[in-house]
Amino acid sequence: MRLPTGTHFDSYTADHAWWKTNFVWVRMVLLGVILLVIVPLFVGDYWLSFFNMIGYTILGAAGVQLLIGYTGLVTLGHAAPIGFGAFCCALSMYLFHVPYLFGFLIGMIAAGLLSLLFGLPSVRVKGFYLIMTTMAMQFITTDIILTQYLGPLAGKGRGGVLAVEPEMFSIGPWVIYSTKDAYIWMIILVIIVQVFMANLMRTRVGRAWMAIRDNDIAAEALGVNIIYYKLLAFFIAGALGGLAGCYWLTNLTIVSPEHFTFGWSLWLVGVILIGGVGSMYGHIYGAIFMTGVLELVKLVLVPLAGVLPGATEKFLYLKDLVFGLSIILFLIFEPNGLSYRWWQIKNYIHLWPFSY
Amino acid sequence: MVHFIEVVITGLLVGGIYACIALGWAIIYKTSGVVNLATGQLTLVGAYVCFALYTTFGLPFIVALLGMLAIAIGLGILTERLWLRPMIGEPVLSVIMVTVGINFAYQAIVALIWGADTRVFTPPVFPMEPLMLGPIHVSQVFLYSFLVAGIMMAILVYFFQRTRMGLAMQATADDEMAARSMGIAASSVYRWTWVIAFMSCGIAGALLGNINGLNISISYLGLLVLPAVVIGGMNSIPGAVAGGLIIGVLENLGDAYVSRFFPGGVKSTFPFIVMLIVMLWKPYGLWGWVKIERM
Repeated sequence: MRLPTGTHFDSYTADHAWWKTNFVWVRMVLLGVILLVIVPLFVGDYWLSFFNMIGYTILGAAGVQLLIGYTGLVTLGHAAPIGFGAFCCALSMYLFHVPYLFGFLIGMIAAGLLSLLFGLPSVRVKGFYLIMTTMAMQFITTDIILTQYLGPLAGKGRGGVLAVEPEMFSIGPWVIYSTKDAYIWMIILVIIVQVFMANLMRTRVGRAWMAIRDNDIAAEALGVNIIYYKLLAFFIAGALGGLAGCYWLTNLTIVSPEHFTFGWSLWLVGVILIGGVGSMYGHIYGAIFMTGVLELVKLVLVPLAGVLPGATEKFLYLKDLVFGLSIILFLIFEPNGLSYRWWQIKNYIHLWPFSY
Repeated sequence: MVHFIEVVITGLLVGGIYACIALGWAIIYKTSGVVNLATGQLTLVGAYVCFALYTTFGLPFIVALLGMLAIAIGLGILTERLWLRPMIGEPVLSVIMVTVGINFAYQAIVALIWGADTRVFTPPVFPMEPLMLGPIHVSQVFLYSFLVAGIMMAILVYFFQRTRMGLAMQATADDEMAARSMGIAASSVYRWTWVIAFMSCGIAGALLGNINGLNISISYLGLLVLPAVVIGGMNSIPGAVAGGLIIGVLENLGDAYVSRFFPGGVKSTFPFIVMLIVMLWKPYGLWGWVKIERM
């Protein structure tokens, strides 16, 4: 990012800082205060649950961003680790009554291992064939493992809905019970995930991933162990998916295989494409945009329900139509996504009065 | 044994329809390199248009089918011009996601027009009674559908091998740069690949609508086609046809024999599991080109 006119640094530490100017510090602290204090105090439950949906989309898309944006491994089945993580967390809490955070960890590790298992073909194939293996992961996990085997484990029958008692979601004395609690937990998780990913990209691992994305043969020639790093990318992306799934479970206290369809996988890929592929904030902008557009469609349709019968039933299809058209139009007219546009706007302001 | 033969024959006959869809998928991939995830929606649109012409407007089935093909030509040209032409030269993932966008948008439009209820072709087009070949039952719907799909594919083979445009397509698929320098307009080739894909998928959709009734879930076949082309080899059109037949048989065998041990959902996921195994063993499919990457 370009810095405002006249800014310079005297040490490498300052040059490598995340937030380089006082203005950015003030802005980020303000954002934190708004998100953690003002929003929970003044916003009603309806809009808090809307924010929770955005947060869940961000958490889910983070893993997709890591795989597609940073490692170049195209995945169209990321709902599978999300669902698997959620089910494993729910089952461990339901059957064995493990503490919440421990179940959370189990969900993350299980999802990571599932993603790792289906990432194994990536050692041999890439591109289109990798898309196929991730789609196979989607169908095998959701349609068979979740629906036929994990659901019945809790004695709920095939395709059953797993419900965990809301009181069980407790971290120490804090019980995540209301929408507001779920909101605060979501903000904490999003911050943890963002900090984790941002720092990971500055380490050896992140640089190896980007080398693989740009040219995997060249990366291998330079001594990057591409098998190890590709599988690591699958594991970590899966674990992030599991985290998103566990959050979804916390938010709803129920999970069903129907929450983790192929459509949801495609939705997550659409979110990062709209937000910006390979950008640390791309999935955040994308999630806000897509969830916001959806809400807008709903807000327009609800008053119409009295005039046009069946408007609410058509909401589902209109949602798909809006999603499809926004992906197409974004890719045609703004292929670099929202984060690129935002970057350009910031540059314009920073370089003022010498902007070009 | 009789049961086994019946299962295989039914699988082959349904596989003929899948082969039609796989062909529509493979032609686009072969000429323009676009992984078309909207294939199922082309099927869906074709099926519903044919249904509207036949049941709503009361045209004879053959006329409805031909009318559907005419509309498919128009829609194919429109789809390519509006959404795919601007994406020439963009990264592969972007083009794939454009087809995902088409997938969502077209399915939503069909659902908005016709609703989500299952529709049936009334009056039934094909007789219901099964045909007896010795002790083996063969459903007539499957048989006639297979025949129609076969005729469609024969016409397409003739088109590829004998007409100017078909040869231009083959040339573009083989080496786009060389084809363009020989004076073939790549954009018109892309346009006609989408038209052919739309027509061939539409026929398949109309036939499938006759078998099980029409429903939004017909678009699921667009995903089923992917194991077919992977098993056959992605850049081989005969491979896609063979892959479609194999998938039809596998699906029915899985339903008949494997679902006993792993209840539920086997019919839809069995092809994907077989595909995963094939990919580990022969990643470029049975007839695909092995791609060697050099720096």
